[in-house]
Order: sequence, then C-alpha cells, then structure tokens
Amino acid sequence: MRKTRWKWTMLGVPVSIAAGCVTYPDQATTREMTEQMVSASFSAPAPALLKRLQQDPSQQICSKLGGAQLTQDEAAQVVKLARDSIKFPASGKLVGDWKVGDQLAHDGAGDRIQFGRLEQRKGNGALCQNCHALEPGEINVGNVGPPLTGYGLQRGNSEAIAKYTYEKIYNAWTVFPCSNMPRLGATGHLTPEQITHLVAYLIDPQSPLNTK
Amino acid sequence: MQKVLWGTAACAAFLFCHCGTALAQNKSDDGLAVGRQMLAEDNPGELWIDRGNRLFREKRGPKKASLEQCDFGLGPGKLDGASAQLPRYFSDTDKVQDLESRLLTCMVELQGFKREDMVKTAISPAFSDGSDMESLAIYITSRSNGMKMNVRLSHPKEREMYKAGEYLFYRRSGQTDFGCVTCHGEGGKRIRLQNLVHMIDKKQLQEVVGSWPAYRGAHGVVRTMQWRLYDCFWQMRLPELEYASDVSIALTTYLHRQGNEAVIRVPGFKR
Ligand code: HEC
Ligand code: HEC
Repeated sequence: MRKTRWKWTMLGVPVSIAAGCVTYPDQATTREMTEQMVSASFSAPAPALLKRLQQDPSQQICSKLGGAQLTQDEAAQVVKLARDSIKFPASGKLVGDWKVGDQLAHDGAGDRIQFGRLEQRKGNGALCQNCHALEPGEINVGNVGPPLTGYGLQRGNSEAIAKYTYEKIYNAWTVFPCSNMPRLGATGHLTPEQITHLVAYLIDPQSPLNTK
Repeated sequence: MQKVLWGTAACAAFLFCHCGTALAQNKSDDGLAVGRQMLAEDNPGELWIDRGNRLFREKRGPKKASLEQCDFGLGPGKLDGASAQLPRYFSDTDKVQDLESRLLTCMVELQGFKREDMVKTAISPAFSDGSDMESLAIYITSRSNGMKMNVRLSHPKEREMYKAGEYLFYRRSGQTDFGCVTCHGEGGKRIRLQNLVHMIDKKQLQEVVGSWPAYRGAHGVVRTMQWRLYDCFWQMRLPELEYASDVSIALTTYLHRQGNEAVIRVPGFKR
C-alpha cells in the first residue's frame, strides 16, 4: 500500500508544477481521494452493511468515466468473472412457480436502509418492473431495460432457454459486460430459488407475461 | 487484485488542462420558462421562502445572534447571487462547502447551535412545516433567482471536489450495481413511471440545478439537494449518506459545475 501511494505522489509532481494553466488532480489521485471520502460519508445500522460501498473487481471495471468503452481485455475479464459467479439452486431445477415469480417481478422493495434501520422482509423484491415492461397492457413499468412482454412466446420454454434466462438474471454481465442490468443473483440481492420463479414467470406458457 | 487494477489506472493517469475555455451558452427558449413561471406563482414553496427570510434575521441560538453576518462567499450578509456560485472553497473552514454545509457552519459558529442537533433535524418529516435548514436554504437560493449558475473551480480544492464528483457519478457499487449514471445517463428513460433526468445532457441538467430547493408534492414540504442525493442512495440500497458529507458536496460540485449557466428559479416544483 505504501509503495503505491509513493507512486501516486510522484505522478502528482508534474501536475502541480504545470504553470499558467488550471490543473485537475490526475485519475489515480482522484480515485484514492474519493474512495477515502466514500469511507467517511455514510452511516449504517450495522458495520457489516458498510461493505456495500466497496466495489468488487467487476464494478471497478464497469465504472469508467464518461461511460467510456471497455477494452477487449476488460470485457473478457468481466464476462469471465460473471461466468464463474453462477450458482444453480440446490434442487437443480431451473424453472419454479410463475405465480411466485409474478409477485417478485412486481416487487421493488427490500434491503434499503433509512433512519438507521435496514428494511427487514422475508426476501427482496426482484425490481424487474422498475426497468422492464412485463404483462401486456401494464402501464406502471420502466424502460431502462427492453420490454419482456411475450418473452416466452418468442423464445419458447426449452431447457436451453431456461438456462439462458436463469443465467441472465443471476448475472446479466455473462452476456453484456457492464450493462445497466444488475447482477441480481451474483450480488446476493436474489436467491437461486427466487430466480427459478422468475424464470418460470418469463417462459411458462401459463404466465400472464405470455398472454397474447 | 485491487492493486493490479489500480496500478493500471495510475499508468493511464493524464494531465487535464482547462485553460479558461468559455462554456457555450445555451439560451433557454422559452415555452418552458413560462410554464415554470406559472407554477412558481402558486408554489407553496413561497411560504418556506418567507419563513427563511424571517429566520435569517431573527436572533436565535445560545448566542442569540442572527445569520446576517454569515458569509456565503461574497462577504458577510451578501446574499444576492451567492448561492449561484456554490459550492465553493471557504478559507475559514479550509473546505469546499455547498449552501447547506455553509449554513451549518454559520448556525454553529455564529448562533452556537450544536452541529449534531442541526444535522438531525435538517431533513424534515413529510407534511410537516419543514426544517429551519430547508427554509433558510430556499430563502438564500431565492436571492439568486434570475441569475445564472456560475461555479468557477478557481481553487485547487474546488477542482478536487469536482473530479471526485465526476468519479462518483460513474462509480457503481452495491447489490444493484447502480451508479448515478445507470439512471441518469440516457435520455427518455423511466423507473416505473418516474421520468429520469439525463444528466449528461447539459440542458436537462440545467433544469435540475436551477430548480432546487423545490417544493415536493408527494411530501408536502420543501426538499433540498442534500435530501435528493440521500434519497437516490437509498434507492441504490447503499448505506445512508450523511448530511453535508464530502460525497454529497462532491456530487453537488460536479452537477452544479456541469450545469453552469442554468438560470436559477426557486422554488422548483417536483412530483
Ligand atoms: C436497473 C434496471 C434493470 C433491472 C432492475 C432489471 N433489468 Fe433486465 N435488463 C436491463 C437492461 C438495461 C437490459 C439490456 C442489457 C442486458 O441485456 O444486460 C436487460 C436485459 C434483460 C433480459 C435479456 C432480454 C433479452 O432479450 O435477452 C432479461 C431476460 C431480463 N433483463 C430480465 C430481467 C428480470 C427477470 C429482472 C428482475 C429480476 C430484471 N431483468 C431486472 C435492466 C434491468
Ligand atoms: C435506481 C435509479 C436511480 C439511481 C441509481 C440514481 N437516481 Fe437520481 N433519481 C432517480 C429518480 C427515480 C428520480 C426522480 C424521482 C421523481 O420523479 O421524483 C431521481 C432524481 C434525481 C435528482 C433530481 C432531478 C430533478 O428532477 O430535479 C437528482 C439531482 C439526482 N437524482 C441525482 C442522482 C445522483 C447524483 C445519483 C448517484 C449518487 C443518482 N441520482 C442515482 C433515480 C435514481
């Protein structure tokens, strides 16, 4: 740690002597300084919750200034980390109960922290409705992600589709590194069992998402 | 692992020079402004401005002093145009401060209030009369109405705060992998039915930075930028943003600077 700090100081030298021109701290200095700010600017009811502020290696790669493009190596690294993260449910069954999935998909609550308290519930909502159109005709839906309406009608409910869908929800970055879709299974927001219900909601022919 | 990544970033470090380039002026044209004006005319936030005006002059706190000697950057008691230049560096505290953290300084130093007490009550319950902080912040901002946001970054610490804010805007973390950019980095997006402001678009960002503090219908009170940032971190499932913390000031410095030239018009009115 001390060694890296020394390197940053060295990098800082040309910055401070550049004369006649307004200078900004370089990227490494900014990062170190801001990470310290992050450690000092938040509170939580339990110290363990402060860990949420720390970035994992994928999040570090996915935080480029100005949303700059990933290099090929970075993209490959994020995809690899995503692939390695996938865990399947103990039962081995990837398609659960679409009715439970329906509820979860429309539930945006869980795990938020306010007034010194962690929101306690049986399980977290899956947040899908915040970002995706779901059943035909539903109005109160977001558009940060593409519509999922008729997902199963278009793709069917083969084992391959079930697996693709499970993995997509578990860790969206297996397919699109750094996309805006959260890695809901990998980060622990959802359990593998919850994800099987969401898979059912997306691909089961009985699911209201797949009505014509 | 972390070390390797950070090393790479250090190699890519660059020297960023900004030699007084004048930012292009966006003349805001004006159907929108008229609409805002009409809203402003019966915006309940006006009540908060009146209350803030009174509170500002009243002798209060253990030291029985008013805030009339508070320096918001243009000199003690000079309010016209002051908030348009915030956040800025203050030599007495050796810190970059936004309006709310500066108010805290004055409430403590001039009036003798306890910082913890002021922080605890700064964000009021919904449908209450609001906090002193909210009233004072909107009153002081109203004294820049019609003027343009003009955050200068002339002090090195201001430039540090700006770069920190930029870094934070793109910084993703937590179980939802959210950064500000996830929800505010593209046009025409919504979370459920709530429209998301595209903050990389200068014009849209200007609508934001010129309109806080704002009366928030859903809460029946005036809310400030400190509250807005707190609430976004809450949605992100992150720990609670501390009032007037450096992260809040860095983000405000970044957003205000990016929105320079925005015409200030408070009270804003939000959903
Ligand atoms: C914060 C926004 C957000 C949330 C919450 C979210 N998604 Fe997504 N989703 C996206 C975005 C953006 C994409 C497109 C980029 C990508 O595929 O990663 C996407 C893509 C997808 C796809 C791929 C679509 C295709 O055509 O292959 C599926 C399936 C999906 N989401 C399902 C879900 C489900 C189920 C949930 C809830 C458990 C969910 N998403 C929650 C933003 C979100
Ligand atoms: C999960 C989505 C999400 C994330 C992530 C998010 N915000 Fe927001 N933000 C919102 C929503 C939704 C609103 C507006 C809600 C409304 O309509 O009242 C909003 C409103 C705002 C506003 C006020 C806009 C206006 O109307 O004047 C500001 C400023 C803001 N956000 C800043 C930030 C910053 C800075 C971050 C990162 C620290 C951030 N947001 C992260 C969803 C998000």
